This record gives sequence, structure tokens and C-alpha cells, in this order.
Amino acid sequence: MNQNNKTSKKVRVSPVITRSIRIVVGIIVLAWMVWRFYNVIFVTAEYGADTWVRFAFSGLIIGGMYALIAVGYTLVYGILFMINFAHGEVMVIGAFGGYFVFELLNAITVTAADGTEMAFINAQPVLALFLAFLAGMSISAVSGFFLEKIAYRPLRTAPRLVPLISAIGASIFLQNALQLLFGPQRRDYINPEILTRGTGWTIQIAGKPVLLTYTGVFSLALSIILMVALALVVQKTKMGKAMRSVAQDKPTSALMGIGVDNIISQTFVLSGVLAGAAGVMWGIHNGLINYYTGFLPGIKAFTAAVLGGIGNIPGAMVGGMVLGIVESIGPAALAIDFQLKDVIAFSILVLVLIFRPQGILGEALSEEKL
Amino acid sequence: MSTPIKNGLRSGAISSIIVIFITIINFLQVISGMLGKLLGSDTTGMIPIINLIIILFIIGFFSGLSSAKEREPDTWRAALLSGLYTGLFAGVILFVFSLVIGAVAAKGIDLRSYLSFFAPQTIQQYMFNLEVIDLELAALVPGVVLTGAVYHLALQVAATVIGSIFVRGFVRGEWRKNLMISLSQSTMVTTGGSGLKQFLNNRYTKYGFFIILFVLLIVLPRVWGSYWNYIMGTVGIYVLLGLGLNIIVGLSGQLVLGYVAFFAIGAYSFALLTAPVPHNLLWNFWPAVGAAIFLAAVAGLLLGLPILNLRGDYLAIVTLGFGEIIRNLIRSDLLTPLTLGPRGVREIAQPTLFGNPFSSDIDFMYLIIVAVLILIYITYRIQNSRTGRAWLSIKDDETVARASGVNVYKYKLLALSLGAAFAGLGGAIFASRNLFTGPEDHILMVSINVLCLIIVGGMGSIPGVILGAFALKGIPEMLRDFEIYRMLAFGALLVVMMIVRPEGLWPTGRPKLEKYKGEDEPELQTLDNPSESEGA
Repeated sequence: MNQNNKTSKKVRVSPVITRSIRIVVGIIVLAWMVWRFYNVIFVTAEYGADTWVRFAFSGLIIGGMYALIAVGYTLVYGILFMINFAHGEVMVIGAFGGYFVFELLNAITVTAADGTEMAFINAQPVLALFLAFLAGMSISAVSGFFLEKIAYRPLRTAPRLVPLISAIGASIFLQNALQLLFGPQRRDYINPEILTRGTGWTIQIAGKPVLLTYTGVFSLALSIILMVALALVVQKTKMGKAMRSVAQDKPTSALMGIGVDNIISQTFVLSGVLAGAAGVMWGIHNGLINYYTGFLPGIKAFTAAVLGGIGNIPGAMVGGMVLGIVESIGPAALAIDFQLKDVIAFSILVLVLIFRPQGILGEALSEEKL
Repeated sequence: MSTPIKNGLRSGAISSIIVIFITIINFLQVISGMLGKLLGSDTTGMIPIINLIIILFIIGFFSGLSSAKEREPDTWRAALLSGLYTGLFAGVILFVFSLVIGAVAAKGIDLRSYLSFFAPQTIQQYMFNLEVIDLELAALVPGVVLTGAVYHLALQVAATVIGSIFVRGFVRGEWRKNLMISLSQSTMVTTGGSGLKQFLNNRYTKYGFFIILFVLLIVLPRVWGSYWNYIMGTVGIYVLLGLGLNIIVGLSGQLVLGYVAFFAIGAYSFALLTAPVPHNLLWNFWPAVGAAIFLAAVAGLLLGLPILNLRGDYLAIVTLGFGEIIRNLIRSDLLTPLTLGPRGVREIAQPTLFGNPFSSDIDFMYLIIVAVLILIYITYRIQNSRTGRAWLSIKDDETVARASGVNVYKYKLLALSLGAAFAGLGGAIFASRNLFTGPEDHILMVSINVLCLIIVGGMGSIPGVILGAFALKGIPEMLRDFEIYRMLAFGALLVVMMIVRPEGLWPTGRPKLEKYKGEDEPELQTLDNPSESEGA
């Protein structure tokens, strides 16, 4: 190998530099975080246990929504190897679907059993919620379906930069279409009375009350149910089997009689359904939506998908939860401003991609892409 | 279902959705305004009916065209049938839509609390200016609404049938053959085509062209007034940014979405070095520009060191995150002592030349032109050097590039920090021209705009960058009515561009030469004919 020495040396220089830089940066970042955390916990002792529980709870709620969106990213990435940039917009479309159902049901009045007039949304809250989620999920599914059909399908064989740019274009288009349709102002989500924001059960932690809001518990429970359902669909049904097969190897799946195009469409529909549910939850829990609502959750959910290991469905769920909790505990734990929440999320993205690009649970992608 | 019905349903659904969408967002008004300028009619009040008819006719025409375009039974009957079905289907949808909104308008309901641009006036315009709102005789309203709806139905059917006749007869049929023959005969007669080419390729012609351009660049800023200087200055700054991102994305093939971070670093370092508040450093213009360029380049280098080994789409999202981190940090309380937070930095220095102020709009225009020329020269020289070829090989295939002995990492870093330096220069000039810079000047949309312009112009092509900057920054600045629809059009343009013409309006010469030389290029073929793969 003597004659190759010169070139191989030349090529190898860069990974050595990168690796050493990575290690140094990693140690510095870690040490800084440990130091800040130590300060907050033991030196200043700024927050009691109740505050930490409150942070963790709100992190879990938001994490559940991130997880639902992240699963959509991971499903699509696993099959097409592209970041579906417009996924956040698909979520907002679902949120708007739920919003209009609630508005409509709030406008309809019915006469209750005891003769009083009340809005349908409060007379039949369960039905109203069901209808809202149904509308949100189906409209998101439809938009996901057409998104794939119009913006991504013609580019199936193109170089990888091309569909990514198309996805960015689709995202900008949808965002602005929503703004032009529904206006730039924030809209107040009307909830059924049983899910009034800011009310909930109070529990005692370390002698202090902690409020577990109804909307929060509802969102968390629903996102867990949906994730279990998704796991069942992917693992137990024929469609899920076909999806996994397509993700592994498209040509071979086609040879086995799987309609690859159909399966890809179904993947987009499935991810749209989950994103729509997340959107309606977002509206119910946070109360305000506008055309731009989907951008940040979209990017953060992608972060969550990468964090958990892209292409890996349990990974996306874990990543979403972890990201939600870190984002909500992080500013307090590191004793920095709460307005830097987004900076923490993005920093996690950058750090994960630098130090462990395969994510927590490892990525599950077929050979052809690497 | 037979093919004509299927095609008709598809094209009809698409065209009717487009019509309904542009009606709801009140885009009809804008197109009509532009059409009015073209036709020279007055456009201040209601849309003239003729404009509405032209717009609807064009949409219907194209949907008829697309429905009859690609089908197996290549007969007049099939083409006409699919056109007819398209028109009927779209017409029925628009008919129902007309009835619904007509009823809404007649009841006096204002939908604007939900659909913010959908005013009663828009409805009336959509209904061919028929009096659906202010009608004294309420009993007449259903009839009027019905009339409007029938107009829509008839117009759609007519337009799509004409479209299908056109596509059958002209695009595929004998008419085209005849026309081609006559065209080829006419070119046979006038073989001046090659003579023109020779003329254009002549060295002296090129020199003459450059001299004319040079004189124009010197004369124009003095002649065309401050309005045009402002617009062209903005275009020029975007050309600067585009040239920088062109090096990163177009030449070396690294998709960077957080390009605005370098712009922000350039603008802020320039601003903080020259402004009296908060640090009172009061540097002169030129060293501060140098420092801005240097700091942006260093930022590019530092960002690139850890992340440039990531694969393409991860790189895109990391840099996007980096851009957001920078903007959030600038406006956060944490850095407010350093950057003044959301208020932004004011009283930024203006350029001086040999001690004299050099800060009128004309002077700024000259400054921007000189900067653009310098950067074009640098890009041009690098593009055709060893470095440029290394970037090209990395862009085409990183593994092969590495195997051929290209130090991939080094060249990627070079591209990123050079592109960042260009952005730093752009940021400094931008801040100096506006006398102000704040966090809202550095939102993600700047990155997206710059990316759009290099993609529309043609990745890796210098004339493409200039063309793209004019198309995406200059034209919308001139069409003020278009302002709120600009980003919508951008998004659609990006998608369409990627499907129809991924290489851009003015693609680079070299990659094209190399790619089309091969005998079979399946990827490129499918890219050229998206309709085929869609229909399959």
C-alpha cells in the first residue's frame, strides 16, 4: 500500500480534524450543561418539585403532538428519502378543519332534555369532538394525498435535491394559500365546555398544587391511542406490511406484486391523518391558530424524527416525547430565558446531527439511500 | 370508466378548483388589473366583464388542452368528448359554486370573517357583475344567480371544447405538420440564422456588447431617478446574495437553507461596528465592510466544520435551524446588551470616498454595481478554475469525486465560507443603505427568496442569478398590486419549475453539454417529460 500512502493520508486528514473538533465541542457543551443544571438544582434551588412536574407535564403534551407529526415525517422519509417540508402545513390544514367544525357546531343551537337552549358543541361534546377530529384528519389526509400526487410524484426519479426544493415550494404555497384564504390573524379555537382551557384536576406535589388541564390530559391520551393504533396498522395489517416492504426495497416489492405508487399514496394519507389529529389537538390545547402555526411544530417534529432515528417509527414517538420534555424543561434547567425555547430545540437538532446522526434508536433506512 | 370521462373528471376538477381558489383569494382582481394594463383599460373599479371572460376562458382552454392531450384512441371524437366532459364537469362545479355564493351574497352575509379576501364585491365580480347584492326585488335574485351560473357553465364548455380541438388539431394533428413544413421552408429560405449566431459569437461583438452594458451601468443610475435606484439597488443586493448562495448550492451542490444567518451576521457586525448605539465604535465604512465579510466567512467556516459531512437533506435542515438560532438569539433578551434585541440597530454608517460622503442613492447604486461586478468576476474565475471543477465533481457525485482525489471536505468548506463572505458583503451594504437593521430583516423568507432566485435562474449560472433576481425581486417590486400574492406565486413557481424545468431559465452551459452527450439518460428523460410519468 506504499504507493497509496500519499493519497490516503490526504483524504484522511479531514475526518481526523472533524472528529477531534466534535469531541472537544461535545465535551465543552456537556460540561456547560451539567454545570448549569447543577447550579439550578443545588446552588440556587430556584424551582420546587411542583414546578418540575408542571414543566414535564406540559412537555409531555406538546411532545405527544410532536410525536404524531414526527411519525409522518419518518414514514415518508423511510419510503421516499425526502423531507416532506409541507408536513407542518398539512397539520395546520387539519387544525383549520377542526376549527370550522367547532365554529359550525357552536352556531347550531339545540334544545336540551330540560328545555334549555344550548349550542350543539356543548350539548353533544363527544360527538362534536369526534366530528372535529374526523374533519381535521380527513382534510389533512386529502391534502397529503394531493400533495404527493402533484408535487412529489412527477419527481420520483429526479436527483434528491429536486424533490426537496419542490417540497419547500409546496410548503410556501400552502402557507400563503392559507393566509390568503383565512387571513393572517390568529383565530380562537372554540372548545366544548367540558374541555375549557385552563381548567383541570389539581394534584398536590410537595405540598403545592399542580394543575393537570383537561385539554392536556385529553391530548396526551389521544396521541398515545393514535400511536398505538398506528403501530398496530404498520405491524399487523396488510397495508402496513406493504409499507414496510416498500421502505426496504421498492423494486423487489414491485416484483412481489405490491403497487408501489399506491403504497406511497397511502403513506401520505396515513401521515396526513396523524398530522391532522395533531393539528386539531394543537388548536384545542393551545387555543390559537393561524396560517403560520405549522411551521415551527413542523421543523421541531422533524427534529424529533431525526432525534429518534429517521425511518424508525418507535424512534419518532420517543424522539417527539423527548424533544417536548427537553424543550419545556430545558430553559429552566439551564437557567436561560424561556424565549430561547426554540433555540434549544434547534440546538438539539444541530447537536444530534453532529454527534449521533443515526438518532437515539438508530435509523431504519434501506441500503439504497446510504 | 372510459378514458374521456376519466380525463374530463380530472381536468375539470383541477380547473374548477383553480377558478374557485383564485376567486376566493380575490386574485381575479389582480389578474384583471394586469390584463387591464395590457389592454389599456381602466381597472380601478369593478373588473370589466371582458377581463373575467378572458381569464376564465384561458383557464378552461388549458384544462381542455390537458384533458385531450395524451390518450390512446387518437381520434377527433375522443378528443372532443374529453374536452366536452371536462367543460361539463368544471362547469357544473362552478355552477353549483355560483349558486351557493350567489345565495350567500343575496342574503347579505359577509364571509370575510372566515375567508378574509372574499368580499361581497368579489362575488358580484365573479357573477359577471350581475346585480346579486343590491337588488331591490328579492324575488329576482334566484333568476340572476341562475343566469350567472349558466354563463359559467357555458363558458367552461366552450373554452374546453375549443382547447381540445386546438390540441387535437394543432399540437398533435396535421395542422402542426403543415406548419412545421412551412416553417422549415421559411428557414431554408432565410439561412441568416447561422449568420446571426456567428455574429453573436464574434469576439468584437462581445466587446461591443460589454461596452454598451458598461455605459448603461454608468449612465442609468444618474438618469432613472431614485425610485428605480431603490428597486434596482434591492435587486442588486439580491444578486450579491444569489451569487453567494450560487457558489454553495449551484456550484458545490450543498443545499443550505439558513443562508440568511450569514446575511444577518454581516449586517449586524457592520451595524454594531459603525453605529453610535450600543457600542459607540464608530468605525469607518470600508474597514467595517471588511470586518463584516471576514466575520461572515469565519461563521461559515465554523458552521461548516462540524456539519459538512452530513448528507444533503440533513444539511438543509441543520442550516435552517442555524438561521433560526441566529435570529432568535439576536432578538432575545440574552443578547440585547450586545445587539439591542428586537429594536434593531440605528444610525449605521454610510460609505465615504476619500473623506467625502458617498451616500446618495446614485452613489449606492454605483457601489452595488461595483460590488456585483467584482463578485461576478470572482465567481467567474473560480468557476473555471481547478476549484470550480472540484466543486462540480462534488456536486455530481461525492463518492466519485473523493475517489478521484478531490479533497471533498476542504472544497465544501471553501464553498460555504466564500458564499458566506458574499452574504456578509450583501448584509453590510444592505444595513448601510437602510441605515437600520433589525431581527425582522433576517427572517427565513430571505433564505427562501434567494434560493428561489438561483433555482429559477438556473443553478450554477451567473446570468441565471441576475435574471432570477430581476424576475423574483424586480418584477414584484414593480407590480405593487401583486405584493400579497407574491409568495404564493413563488411557492407554485418552485414546484412547477422543479417538475417542468429543473435546470432553470438560463442553465449553465457545461453540465448540460456533458449530460446530453450520453446516449441514454433515463433520469433526464423522465425529468423532461413529467406528464408521461404522471400518466403512467
